[in-house]
Amino acid sequence: MPLREASFREKSALAMLMLWLLVTAFYIVEMQPWRWTMHSIHAPMKPFVVATIAIIIGSIIVQAVLGARDPKEASAPADERERPILDKASSWSGTVLAVGCVASILHYLQHGSGDLLFHTIFLSLIVSAMSEFIFQLWLFRRGA
Amino acid sequence: MTKRPPITNRVRDYRERHGGLTQAQLGEAVGVTRHTIIAIEQGHYSPSLETAFRIARLFGAGVEDVFGWEG
Repeated sequence: MPLREASFREKSALAMLMLWLLVTAFYIVEMQPWRWTMHSIHAPMKPFVVATIAIIIGSIIVQAVLGARDPKEASAPADERERPILDKASSWSGTVLAVGCVASILHYLQHGSGDLLFHTIFLSLIVSAMSEFIFQLWLFRRGA
Repeated sequence: MTKRPPITNRVRDYRERHGGLTQAQLGEAVGVTRHTIIAIEQGHYSPSLETAFRIARLFGAGVEDVFGWEG
């Protein structure tokens, strides 16, 4: 099915994935200079603040634009086919978050950098959110 | 691609027979999205029993006239 024929939820998941990818790229690039000081407690907070604000504002803009293009579908609740897809994607992304958090905690236990723990958990959250959009897209395309 | 469910359907035939009812109109009438009707017609999704009854009733047919078991 071509993209213009895709449902509102598919378009929304794709647009949000693009937004989160951009924010992640920014976050990783900004954190890159600190790569070699992973045991330091001085990793900067600026990338976190900018990324969080970008995600909030970007999400509002993306949803507003998509909603304006198709207000009827945007305001409709998920139907019987979409609900299990959204639930499944949410559940799987929860597992991704759990794995990221546990890995971050294990790293913290090994190296003791609370600052780094903060950033790796934030990164886990980002990866988890992106994985939810990817799972949604895959399940919608698969026709589950 | 996931394995197709063993339920066949003639939703498209009935839709065309009923004055070319669109997928969106059918979806709205039975409470699902147009994309769910597309998925049903393409055999990618088996509707719930409730939706199957709603579709069949809309066409004035029995559930087994619209849906079949391939297995």
